[in-house]
Amino acid sequence: MSILLEKLIINYPYSIAVVLFIIGALTVLTRSSLFKKLLGINIMETAVFLIFIAAGNIRGGTEPILSEGNPGTVYINPLPSALMLTGIVVSVSVTAFALALIIRLHRTYGTTDANCIAQMRKEVIDR
Amino acid sequence: MLYLVLALSSGVVGGLIIALMPNVINHLRKYIVLLFSTSGMLFSWKVASLVFAGESVRLSCEVGGMGFCIDPDPLGAIFGLIASTLWLFTAVYSFGYMDEKHKQRTYYTFFLMSLSMTLGVAFSGNLLALYLFYELLTFSTYPLVIHERSSEAVKAGAKYILYSLSGAGAILIAVVITYSWSGKLDFTGGPIFAGFTGAGFNWLLALFIVGFGVKAAIMPLHRWLPAAMVAPTPVSALLHAVAVVYSGVFGILRVIYSVFGHELVRQLRISRVLPWIAAFTILAGIIIATRQDILKRRLAYQTVSHLSYILLGAFTLQEWGLAGAIMHMISYSTLKITLFFCAGIIAEQTGETKIDGMSGIGWLLPKTMAAFSVATMGMIGMMPLNTFWGKYYLMKGSVAGGKWPLALVLIGSGIINAICFVPVIINSFKGERSMQNYEQGGKVNLMLAPTVFLVVTALIIGIFPGLVWPGVQAVINCFY
Amino acid sequence: MISSITTNLPVFVVIAPLFVAFILTTFARRIRLVEGFVIFIEVLGLTGAGILAVNVFIKNIPIIYQMGGWSAPWGIELKIGNLSAFFLLVVAFVSVPVSLFAVNNLSDEVGGKERVTRFYVLYLLLGGAMAGMAVTNDLFNVFVLVEVATLSCCGLVSSRNRPQAAEAAFTYLIMATLGSTLVLGGIGFIYIITGHLNMGFAYEELNRIWQNSPHVVWMAFSFMLVGFGVKSALFPLHIWLPDAHSAAPSPASAILSGVAVKGYLICLLKILYRVFGHTLMQEFAVHRILVLAGTVAIIAGSILALTQVELKRRLAFSTVAQVGYIILGMGLVNIKGLTGTLFYLASHAVIKSTLFLAAGAIIAATGKKNINELAGIGRKMPITMAAFTIGSLGLTGIPLFSGFIGKWNLILGSLESGNIIPIAVIIVGSVLCAAYLFPIVRVAYFEPAPEEDWKDPGFTQKIALIMLASAVVILGIIPGPFLELAERAAAELLMLR
Repeated sequence: MSILLEKLIINYPYSIAVVLFIIGALTVLTRSSLFKKLLGINIMETAVFLIFIAAGNIRGGTEPILSEGNPGTVYINPLPSALMLTGIVVSVSVTAFALALIIRLHRTYGTTDANCIAQMRKEVIDR
Repeated sequence: MLYLVLALSSGVVGGLIIALMPNVINHLRKYIVLLFSTSGMLFSWKVASLVFAGESVRLSCEVGGMGFCIDPDPLGAIFGLIASTLWLFTAVYSFGYMDEKHKQRTYYTFFLMSLSMTLGVAFSGNLLALYLFYELLTFSTYPLVIHERSSEAVKAGAKYILYSLSGAGAILIAVVITYSWSGKLDFTGGPIFAGFTGAGFNWLLALFIVGFGVKAAIMPLHRWLPAAMVAPTPVSALLHAVAVVYSGVFGILRVIYSVFGHELVRQLRISRVLPWIAAFTILAGIIIATRQDILKRRLAYQTVSHLSYILLGAFTLQEWGLAGAIMHMISYSTLKITLFFCAGIIAEQTGETKIDGMSGIGWLLPKTMAAFSVATMGMIGMMPLNTFWGKYYLMKGSVAGGKWPLALVLIGSGIINAICFVPVIINSFKGERSMQNYEQGGKVNLMLAPTVFLVVTALIIGIFPGLVWPGVQAVINCFY
Repeated sequence: MISSITTNLPVFVVIAPLFVAFILTTFARRIRLVEGFVIFIEVLGLTGAGILAVNVFIKNIPIIYQMGGWSAPWGIELKIGNLSAFFLLVVAFVSVPVSLFAVNNLSDEVGGKERVTRFYVLYLLLGGAMAGMAVTNDLFNVFVLVEVATLSCCGLVSSRNRPQAAEAAFTYLIMATLGSTLVLGGIGFIYIITGHLNMGFAYEELNRIWQNSPHVVWMAFSFMLVGFGVKSALFPLHIWLPDAHSAAPSPASAILSGVAVKGYLICLLKILYRVFGHTLMQEFAVHRILVLAGTVAIIAGSILALTQVELKRRLAFSTVAQVGYIILGMGLVNIKGLTGTLFYLASHAVIKSTLFLAAGAIIAATGKKNINELAGIGRKMPITMAAFTIGSLGLTGIPLFSGFIGKWNLILGSLESGNIIPIAVIIVGSVLCAAYLFPIVRVAYFEPAPEEDWKDPGFTQKIALIMLASAVVILGIIPGPFLELAERAAAELLMLR
């Protein structure tokens, strides 16, 4: 048990990422406000980014910019960071799109609560 | 080969012409139907004569990466002959029955198309072609079943398609397994599984029989048949007493003789159960028939019973059994169609469909009921009708196979057939002779003529069985 | 000039639609020009795909293309083998009739001229992303393309003017992003243990060292399966699909159900077989999971389809069922099984597009959405209904149509791998498929039509329907080289060549 705790603390980025992922997933599934669902998605994506970036990190490494130092410098892996930049851009686009859809839904239904919208839709269908 | 193509395409071409005919020449429709039914029949006879003379008539092509092959052998030729000849009779009957009814264009279109599909099943030379035409037959007969467009007809149609497609699905699995185990699907050159053994074949045979058994109305897969009686009488007569159900029976015959080979089937444990399944259907079918009040449904259950006569003959795995099966195929079809035709004439001329209301009808429709009586005698299996010979050979085959109780089953079924139908006949001749004659008019003549013709044919074949014996002999020689 | 196009053809097939998509907005006012341009690009794409396919087919060696000249593992590699050629052909071929159908048809569904142009922008983006998914050989590239496809799919779904469209698009967006996140996580795990993003290199490394970290490999498998499962509507992760595909305009539904879902399945296929490899799959029993999931999906999807009254929703649930077939086929680790999977995938793409386009034409002409209101359409709109009937027959698996060959190979494949239940399920699925499609055909042909003025859709729409319906029949009758291509692709996936 203590070994497990020790491992969790040593690999703290990954543990935090897992916690974030779960928080994000729960937010998406349980919250009824559309904004909160969107935020949940964002948090989940952040969790995954964190995993990648933490994987690229090397303890004791410097930033991955070639310099005139000694040839034995350890650079951290630049690739995951670059990939995650792409990921962040994707996340931003998705957020923007989702916000636009929320605005459109708000214009139609006057609310941004998923349950209320479902309710209103049911009423329309019943009518 | 040309004749083969002509025989197969007569129905489809005729059906298409009728479907696309402009409305102004509707009165020509009957002639076109007559033309194409006759041509179908003539070309089938030509193909059959070529086959019986020993020539090989073959048509194969690669479609979809798999080989389809049309290659009739004596068994297929006989089925094709029965189907195409009776199609012509039914066409003439339809002219009378369907006069002034609705949706004639749809009716005749699919009527002719089903002819091609049935001939396709009959003449098919490999399992894929058999499966293809089997499926297409289901679809081309569906519009005929729902012809009345009533909710009852639609429900019957749904049941029909459901049962048929499930059966076809089982057949497809069995065909794929056959291909996977043996690598070939052709019927020529001996059974596909010649020389194979193994326990898995029990399951494969069971799968095939369940698949084909849906159309062959083996109990308990027969439930679609009584429901399909809601179709017009010519459809019930031809398709659901002869063409479609014979496809199922034919399929089983093919499976036993051309796919497995009777030697392999003899080794399988399941072959001991099969004759009893057929026997059960024979008895149960006719017993349930006695409880039906609607005449067509009574005839439907009688169909269920009699189809298993043919299957019984096949399942005995004896030469005499097969001979009896083929004889019964030929004789039963003529008489069953006669019975249905009579039921149709009664329904059309008097409006009666229930047996309760048919007392005294014999005096109104004497010729009809005379034909009905003769045909019933045939169903019982009495001399001098042609069914006598079929039953005789079946009994011989049962005894030769060591299963003499089956012969008792056949005799018993004959008795129950009598109990089922003789009272109907006697009831219809109750009361006194009436001065009314419902059997006048062109429409009735069109319906009566084929009926009487068929009865006479049955009598002739019954008195001179030698007329059809060479054909039966050819089939037996092919497989034994 | 020509030689530079031909050497760079693999990348052009992907980039050209993307590039043209962004140009389209500049002349948004001139709809004719926009539509013409779109069709032109689609046809060019089809030609390009054809050239690549013929090249790969004849020479039998994959075309390897390095983006920007950077060789793998540092650069992004595009590898056009038999599988890529196959899927490129499918995507390209289906896009052309769908875009033909969309000509003149979109304004009532989508809105004014600018909206139509934006629709085409998203449409071309989706086409480019799909082509990319076919050819890519790099894991992160897969992620990027998956995201492009997701966003354009969501955009297409929301392009209609109704509130249901916005809701369906939002649900789709949330769930699809959930899927993408999981996929990214899976890619992350693979990268962490192998250090490679190129599929070939990752495969070698993975097969060398997976025993050191089996849990991570297991996590990667699960994340990939669930992630792509959400995106390709594998039961029970299919919840977004019926709303999305019925709320979208008909050309969009056709391309979404027909091609988009398939793109994700192809990505999953590639990752499972090229990155993990079939030995690793069998080691972790992933193939059994796939077979089980596929079986459940077929039955559940078909039964749910039976309960739907709205035509487009019924077709959408049918997609759920058919995806089950493909997933089932993915779990059959033999040549016949994978050939059947690929052929079924192609056949379903064509058939579903036909069905959705025909359904769209019917709804547009009659204004009726429910199945029981479609009496007599067969006589009023003969070509549309004929296309629908051909599609239904193809989906049920009648011989002479394309679905049969796929089913035949799937059953053969199941037999070889010893799975008995899937065989029965495949057939039960066909019977259920007939059960939920034939009543539509029956009502359309065999019920009397009301006295309405319903007509077949316009000329280009008819051409589109005829093209797709004939493809169903032609694939069924002469699958020849296409089937051969699928078989080679299957062998390639199983690394038998």
